Amino acid sequence: MNEQTGTFLGVEFFNPERLWALLILPILVILYLLLLQLKRNRGMRYTQTGIVGAVLPRQSQWRRHVSVAMALCSLVAITGAWARPVGIEKVPRERATVVIVLDRSLSMQATDVEPTRMDASKQAAKDFIAELPPSFNVALVGLSASSSVLAPPTTDRGMLNRVIEQMGVQDGTAIGDAIMAAISAVGMAPGEQGADPAPAMIVLLSDGQNTSGQTDPVAAAQQAKAAEIPIHTIAFGTMNGYVDVDGARANVAPDVALLGEIADITGGRAMDAKSANQLNDVYQEMRSEVGYEEVKKEVTAQWALYAFAFAFVASLGAVSMAARWP
Amino acid sequence: MTTPDFAPPPSGTTLANGRGDVGAAESVLREPSGPTIPLNKLAPEAALRRLELTVVRRLEGFLQGDHLGLLPGPGSDLNDARIYVPGEDDVRRMDWAVTARTMTPHVRDTMADRELEVWALLDASPSMNWGTAGITKRDLGIAAIATLGFISQKMGDRFGGLVMHSDSVRRFPARSGRQALYGLLGRMLEDPIEKDNLPAALGLAEGIEALIRTQRRRGMRLVVSDFLSPGDKVLDANTPPDWERPLRRLAVRNQVLCVEVVDAGEVEFPDVGELLIRDPETDFARYVNTSDPRARKMIDGASQAQRTRIAAAMRRAGVGHIRLQTDRDWVADIARFVLTYRRTAAVLHTPPQGVSK
Repeated sequence: MNEQTGTFLGVEFFNPERLWALLILPILVILYLLLLQLKRNRGMRYTQTGIVGAVLPRQSQWRRHVSVAMALCSLVAITGAWARPVGIEKVPRERATVVIVLDRSLSMQATDVEPTRMDASKQAAKDFIAELPPSFNVALVGLSASSSVLAPPTTDRGMLNRVIEQMGVQDGTAIGDAIMAAISAVGMAPGEQGADPAPAMIVLLSDGQNTSGQTDPVAAAQQAKAAEIPIHTIAFGTMNGYVDVDGARANVAPDVALLGEIADITGGRAMDAKSANQLNDVYQEMRSEVGYEEVKKEVTAQWALYAFAFAFVASLGAVSMAARWP
Repeated sequence: MTTPDFAPPPSGTTLANGRGDVGAAESVLREPSGPTIPLNKLAPEAALRRLELTVVRRLEGFLQGDHLGLLPGPGSDLNDARIYVPGEDDVRRMDWAVTARTMTPHVRDTMADRELEVWALLDASPSMNWGTAGITKRDLGIAAIATLGFISQKMGDRFGGLVMHSDSVRRFPARSGRQALYGLLGRMLEDPIEKDNLPAALGLAEGIEALIRTQRRRGMRLVVSDFLSPGDKVLDANTPPDWERPLRRLAVRNQVLCVEVVDAGEVEFPDVGELLIRDPETDFARYVNTSDPRARKMIDGASQAQRTRIAAAMRRAGVGHIRLQTDRDWVADIARFVLTYRRTAAVLHTPPQGVSK
């Protein structure tokens, strides 16, 4: 459903012009207040009100007002239902291209995650790939100073697993270049020429600061956005992870801010994982992010139910007030 | 010569019994626009000629009348004997028995016979402009004044009126004769009807105070009201209402008759479904489910207790008490009261200690 929608008060409607009918509400409210005023002058005069007030408990008027309020709410809900409100439903994707960008820089040797960051991320990536629907094309990009497409988009899971196994540690972290490589990998996806390409997305796992590369990560993210490829980022590792390089100890905390910015720009999600278990959880979430797409759908029935519930309460109130029970 | 009209005034025309004439029922919704009874229906004058209102307290006055006065003067009631003053006293008034006993000539003095001056205080506050039956309480009060006025019409007796509104007291001077009484009643009926919920500066207590203050000569006083203080919710008969003290003061020198005007809707709370009930005098406005028999029973019980309290306060003040109801024949009620009053008045109006009768 790719109909035109309009937004009113944060809710999307397919026919927002029908909401003009809501203008009747203030008129009804004014009428109600007027009637209340008029009724004050129309009650029965009675002289011994002192004892009436003393003897009878004060009857609260909330039922009356609640009934009217409920009737108005019901009117609002049924008008909203008439304007065909838009709901979001998650539908499993049939096809997609997922580019997994795995960090293979030196910092992945840090042992703050059992057994090492590298092994944990490899295992989690393999599990993630195994759970993706078999029709998805999955590509792999290694993130280092010289980021490269390790595996073009393919449905061959065995090959991917082997590539992940064989991925070794390299020097440097160039997130911008890696994103550019991932964008190019999306273009390598198999498919008929001219046909609608499968929706693509990038899952970027990084554990350190951007240290090198020719492309600025933010500019790369802008390009991904232009290509309509969301980048979901995973900041992996703890803040006090370290590696010993050339006898010097270096802190390798993940750059959460940068990754979050990248995800923000491209409309993806930014997550972080501090352990192997958390990484698995993050990949689980990523699976629903990657495997499902959100589809706009009419939820008129839901709104009609709300309207009915309000109307039911209003009618109960009205019946309890007006009826003389035998 | 026209035959006197002995038929009782119309009554019993309530909405509930389905008569076509709704009478004063409009006053349930808004203040009535005018009197609900014409002048000639107020009291059957001819039928009341044979009744007489017993006057037990002594009177002060200017003129010769039919009632016992307070001071010596020419009259029929014998007073003390005193020594005969030659040239001043009439020898025909010689008291021979005392002269023989004392060997000194004595004359017997008499108490002067004086005319009666009746003043009626009519409460015209908004709560009186109300009635569910044939007439409003205010007009029933005027009818009671008319009836008592015709009963107390003797040679030279004067009748005056005070109409108490919530902001002022209107005074109609006392005059003698039935034409003057008709004039007074007509002006009372035409007195403008007060609007609801005006700020009330005067209550019944202030009205009685005004009666005490302006009319100092001894006589008979009628207080016509519903004796309901706005917003009063006390039901204990031992707690005096605010008008009891002024009423006591009024009863020290006067013979006071209180006419309590009650409506059927006050005795029996009407069953009219759930509706807004508002007070013509206070800002009370509340939805009440009048169909609830328990609520009606409680309100009826409370108003019964309130009337008991009013009666107790009047008994304590030593005043006569007539209760009239808008859906009953007030002439019959007043006649019945007057007949009983002949026997009870002397006890009822015993003045406080130290005050001459």
